[in-house]
Amino acid sequence: MSELLLLVGTEKGAFTARYDESTAQWSTSGPHLPGWEVSALTLAGNGTPRLLAGTTHYVYGATIRSSDDMGRTWDEQPGSPAYDAERGFKMNRIWTIERTASGSLLAGVDEAGIFRSDDDGQTWSELRALTDHPTRVNWSPGNGGLCLHTIVQDPHDANRMWVAISAVGVFRTDDGGASWELKTRGIPPVPTGGDGVGIDRCVHRIALDPGAADTLYMQFHGGVFRSTDAAESWHPIESGLPSNFGFPLVTGRPGELFVAPLESDERRYMPDGRLRVFRSRDAGESWQDVSAGLPGEPQFVNVLRGAMARDPGNVGGVMFGTTMGQVYATHDSGETWQELPMQLPRVLSVTAHRMGA
Amino acid sequence: MAAITVSVPGLLRECIGGALRAKLAAATAAEAVEVMLATFPRLKVHLYDEEGRMRDHVFLALNGASIKRRTDLDIPLRDGDRLDVVQAVSGG
Repeated sequence: MSELLLLVGTEKGAFTARYDESTAQWSTSGPHLPGWEVSALTLAGNGTPRLLAGTTHYVYGATIRSSDDMGRTWDEQPGSPAYDAERGFKMNRIWTIERTASGSLLAGVDEAGIFRSDDDGQTWSELRALTDHPTRVNWSPGNGGLCLHTIVQDPHDANRMWVAISAVGVFRTDDGGASWELKTRGIPPVPTGGDGVGIDRCVHRIALDPGAADTLYMQFHGGVFRSTDAAESWHPIESGLPSNFGFPLVTGRPGELFVAPLESDERRYMPDGRLRVFRSRDAGESWQDVSAGLPGEPQFVNVLRGAMARDPGNVGGVMFGTTMGQVYATHDSGETWQELPMQLPRVLSVTAHRMGA
Repeated sequence: MAAITVSVPGLLRECIGGALRAKLAAATAAEAVEVMLATFPRLKVHLYDEEGRMRDHVFLALNGASIKRRTDLDIPLRDGDRLDVVQAVSGG
């Protein structure tokens, strides 16, 4: 049986947690890369498992590091994503690292851009068509920076993917990144100071429905949306949620998605201080509070956009970490939750993987 | 040519082979910076931004004194001098 491996990136290092299904217990390790902000952490490698971490420090900048021994030792990649000086963009943070079906890697970064590696993360090249988009001159940062935080790949079409940029919007490519189109119809602008023509859409997270490649979901700055036409148009699906503001969104079974609403933009903590996760099983038409097992005492915490993940080996598996450093897991689609035995720094990213077979 | 010691903050120790200090030989401060970056090229991305400017919260100190704002680094070195990479204290 494969083993569930959770990779947790925090403000001060990386942590791992392995789940023993026979005892329902977690074993943890870390901190790895202590002192570094680990804004992205994933498992990649062609053959040998390789951890890839996007590390940042406000003094020393952002690079990618790899480990081929599950975090005991790390190598900084000298060819980490970096903008050429003539581009005029800064590399502030690695927001996400995704593996493609062909074994390449994609990285979404701040300032917003996308990079690809074809050698397991050793060297990276910018996909310039996105940052050459005619709207680029009007992109402006949100509270979290000008970040390309989400990359969604179409499992049925290797040339199609979507990226989400905070305070800008969603772009889709149908030709492997050679060209991109803005896809924000139906999404209202937010006041960024820009001109609001198509961009100025503060997209917090997008995810693909595993049962329909043209169906995507979005947690927006103020709203939860669904598209059934590959992002050509978006429609609200927030009826029944305590708030339409939040950051993470993950999908489980076809038509099943999870969000963690916050009180409001101004009060970025759980409504009424109650740690709650909401689930929909009808593609957002209705929502259920699925919080059994989560703490009952006040929890004025946030769950950041990258800090919720689904178990690739169990459609009912969802894990998330909070800004106060707790990590929770469900294996039954939120019917019950378990707190992992660790109290961490502010959790920035959570990814779930299956090891072995 | 003087034998000097360079040091880095703990977060950058992997850039110079896992230690906090290393020995270099250089005749001037400018040469010492050049030799340091040539010997330990992974330091460069952490000390300088995309346009080659030293990052805001980092400075180099020669024998304890910052040389970040000096335009002329043609400063003769003597055996035993220290060139430190320093993380500026920024915030509370």
